[in-house]
Amino acid sequence: MIPPFDYKTPNTIEEAIELLWQAGGKAKIIAGGTDLVIGLRNGDLSPQFIVDITRIEDLRKIEEKNGMVSIGAAITHSEIASSSLVKKYGKVLSDAASEIGSPQIRNMGTIGGNIINASPAADTIPPLMVLNAMGRVVSKEGEREVPLDQLFKGPYETNLKPHELLVQITFQKLPPETKSSFVRLARRNAMAIARMNVAIILQIGKSRIEDVRIAVGSVTPTPQRMSEAETFLKGKLPDQRSLQKASLKVSEAMIKRSGIRASTAYKRPVVEALFMRAMRKALEG
Amino acid sequence: MKQVGIEIPKVDVIEKALGEAKYGADLPFRGPLHLKVLRSPKPHAKIVRIEMDEALRVPGVEGVFTAKDIPGKNLVGTINKDQPILASGRVRYIGDPVALIAAKTEEVAEEAVKKLVVVYEDLPSVFHPEEALQPYAPLIHEKGNLLLEFHVIKGDVQRGFKEAEVIVEETYTTTWVDHAYLEPDAGISYLDEEGRITVVCPTQNVHYDQKEMASALSLPLDQVRVIQCATGGGFGGRLDITVQCLLALAVFHLKKPVKIIYSREEVFQVTSKRHPLRIRYKSGAKKDGTLTAVEVDILGDTGAYASYGATVAIRSAVHATGPYQVPNVKVRSRMVYTNNPWSGAMRGFGVPQMAFAHESQMDLLAQALKMDPIEIRLKNSLRVGSETATGQTLMASVGIGETLKKVKEWRDRGAISKNDSKKPFIKKGIGIGSMWYGIGNTGIANPSTAQMEIGPDGEIRLFTGVADIGQGSDTILLQIASEGIGISLKEIRLIRADTALTTDAGATSASRQTYISGNAILSAIKNLKQEAIKEASQLLNLDEKDLFFEEGKVKSRTCLTTSIPIKEVAKRCGKILKGEGRFDPETTRLDPETGQGAPYATYAFATHLAEVEVDTDTGKVKVNRVIASHDVGKAIHPMNVIGQIMGGGSHGDGICFNGRIRSGRDNLFRQLSHPDIKGYSRGHSYHC
Repeated sequence: MIPPFDYKTPNTIEEAIELLWQAGGKAKIIAGGTDLVIGLRNGDLSPQFIVDITRIEDLRKIEEKNGMVSIGAAITHSEIASSSLVKKYGKVLSDAASEIGSPQIRNMGTIGGNIINASPAADTIPPLMVLNAMGRVVSKEGEREVPLDQLFKGPYETNLKPHELLVQITFQKLPPETKSSFVRLARRNAMAIARMNVAIILQIGKSRIEDVRIAVGSVTPTPQRMSEAETFLKGKLPDQRSLQKASLKVSEAMIKRSGIRASTAYKRPVVEALFMRAMRKALEG
Repeated sequence: MKQVGIEIPKVDVIEKALGEAKYGADLPFRGPLHLKVLRSPKPHAKIVRIEMDEALRVPGVEGVFTAKDIPGKNLVGTINKDQPILASGRVRYIGDPVALIAAKTEEVAEEAVKKLVVVYEDLPSVFHPEEALQPYAPLIHEKGNLLLEFHVIKGDVQRGFKEAEVIVEETYTTTWVDHAYLEPDAGISYLDEEGRITVVCPTQNVHYDQKEMASALSLPLDQVRVIQCATGGGFGGRLDITVQCLLALAVFHLKKPVKIIYSREEVFQVTSKRHPLRIRYKSGAKKDGTLTAVEVDILGDTGAYASYGATVAIRSAVHATGPYQVPNVKVRSRMVYTNNPWSGAMRGFGVPQMAFAHESQMDLLAQALKMDPIEIRLKNSLRVGSETATGQTLMASVGIGETLKKVKEWRDRGAISKNDSKKPFIKKGIGIGSMWYGIGNTGIANPSTAQMEIGPDGEIRLFTGVADIGQGSDTILLQIASEGIGISLKEIRLIRADTALTTDAGATSASRQTYISGNAILSAIKNLKQEAIKEASQLLNLDEKDLFFEEGKVKSRTCLTTSIPIKEVAKRCGKILKGEGRFDPETTRLDPETGQGAPYATYAFATHLAEVEVDTDTGKVKVNRVIASHDVGKAIHPMNVIGQIMGGGSHGDGICFNGRIRSGRDNLFRQLSHPDIKGYSRGHSYHC
């Protein structure tokens, strides 16, 4: 049984942050509820207030402005998956959004929720990391912009204070010739949490790799950019040999961050293979 | 009038497709009390005391019941009665029911459950069957932890292994699987117009439920009544008592309508599971592949209670050889209590677990002998005249060879796709699996009864105790009845699965209802026809011997124009024409020492071929296609048979890849996994 709480439905960001400020840490924010309600049912969470942010118009917009794409925190995965704007300027994100969970979860779950829940397996985080996305966070104390990869403290833990609200995610529009890919591996095809996911953005100039951004999820405490492999690949021809070398850098980085575990024997070759697959997919795409 | 073997819509399909069928949780009932169960958080403990004052003080609570409130026998079980309805002094698994609360609303009941205080004293617990058999193991039941040991002994295995040129020996283990029917266990109970305690719920056997309720309440059978509502799946999980006795107990004390709906978590936690088996299997064969001997040792985990543990121990032993002729057989099968969740009936009573073992053995033998896996199976397959491991000579209907040949044709025709050169990391392969399954209960009487009648108003009624749990018996039994009499299916009214109106048909399990209850109906029809002829002879003033029955009419052999429809007979003689039917397949009891005997009157056989691909980069396995070849005999409702085979195929896929329950000392359900909807695919059928 879910313990009783006060349900608040602010219509503006200002109202929302006022409510969060007054609640003094005793509030939880709900958008789609796909993670929060489970916590309430389990008895893991027993907030005094629940602040529903889905009625705030400003959080329900996908916009393009000054070379940037901005997505409101209460935008659902389905909306991202079907947004022509996101498809055009950040396809890696719409690809990922279309593969999350199941239609029911995609229709309810939001991008803001996926970020704030901070699951190591969150499917939208690796794509946002390779997009160099920024989160706009507001509270009664003011406003700040946080690069996405600095938002996470650990599994299911962010740097946000309880009275802060993530309102928007922004990223720079990718040039049209950009290549990208998202691949995920799960025990089942639907309704399953990713066991591993890889997002890649790739710029090729004069047949060499001009820029590459790689992020891997589920195999490290928080999704990670693979900077060693990125640095290694820059300026190289995207041939089998280079990719293979880069794949070793990916698995090394994974082990460096997660340590050797019982599952490493499986994860090491598979993260390498999945990276190779993602690179090939990006190159072909 | 042809009714059997044609494709007609199932009789309940419209109401189910429109969402109008009322399942347990849908049952309309004005203002019932809601029931909730307090369950044990401990795998094994003594109940020192239960403090209920605070719970009773919650406004809206109408009653709190414990074992003390059960007036009759507080033990249920299909074979061995060892499972309390409410724990009596002791709990044996996480989830054992301890107390029952009735309250005005579900929320109040839930709140009151939290106010109950149970003081436990932990007892040592045991979670592995091997450990449970050790002399120092804590006793879960007073009679000991070994529920049953059963042997099948034929010929001389030592001599058989001496004759063998190749021997393979392996150990196979299987785990729990939940039935995961879509509908949660739920039901309502009330006093009917005659004051009987009446339970309406999903179930696979109303007459069994009735007996357990009567015994628990110490009431005569006719004082309790069970009506089956639309049932959203069973697969064996609704052969045992679920909500029935709890509902009846509350009505017994409160004399008010009550309702219970298990939460999804509760369904998984407290209903039966597939038995985990550990199977040691040794097979010997000659160079040409002929089996000379098998020796099998089976150890099963029945969990806290017996349920169908004994059946699974015996069935798994009887089916241990697979559908093959083996001259020398030695099987030992033991079923053991532990403090794990209790295991029960689950699609096949242990036979699918055995198929995993005997089919793996056949593949290993084929590999060792460099033989085609289909050829080695064909060489050894049972045929008419073969003797099974229990010494039963099969006289008819042994289709295993045919199913293998059909699958071989498909394979040799190249029905399996080739590796894709663009995806070198995907490797494809095929697997073969054969099975056999004895129809009905094992070596014991398992009769069904039925009645057919025609009233003076012309209404034709079929009475059967059979529970249709979605498998389609309502349609199939009506098809049999309508073809048997020679009238249209729509002219028959079906009255089924209500203990006040129908007689015992036994359980909807063990693939038995079409065969056994179908024959009981045929026997009822035979008697009904005789009755009609007797009455007609008086009406027509003709000798009974001159009359015969055809196409729903009584006709004269000598006077070709004389014919009277059966409805007309009932109308004109002004009484109900009635035919009682009974059928009990011929079986013999298995010898308690050697397991020899004829446990089933008939068997089913099948072979599947699966195309499987492995992503060698990620280890992900996918079944691309299954070619299922079944010896179904005469399909009464072909579409339904195909549906059953596809459902079974998906179930098998689940057992292989996803079906899993992790049990733990502290937390019963760490993980539960089933195939997702994308894992199910539409199949195509071919008639051969």
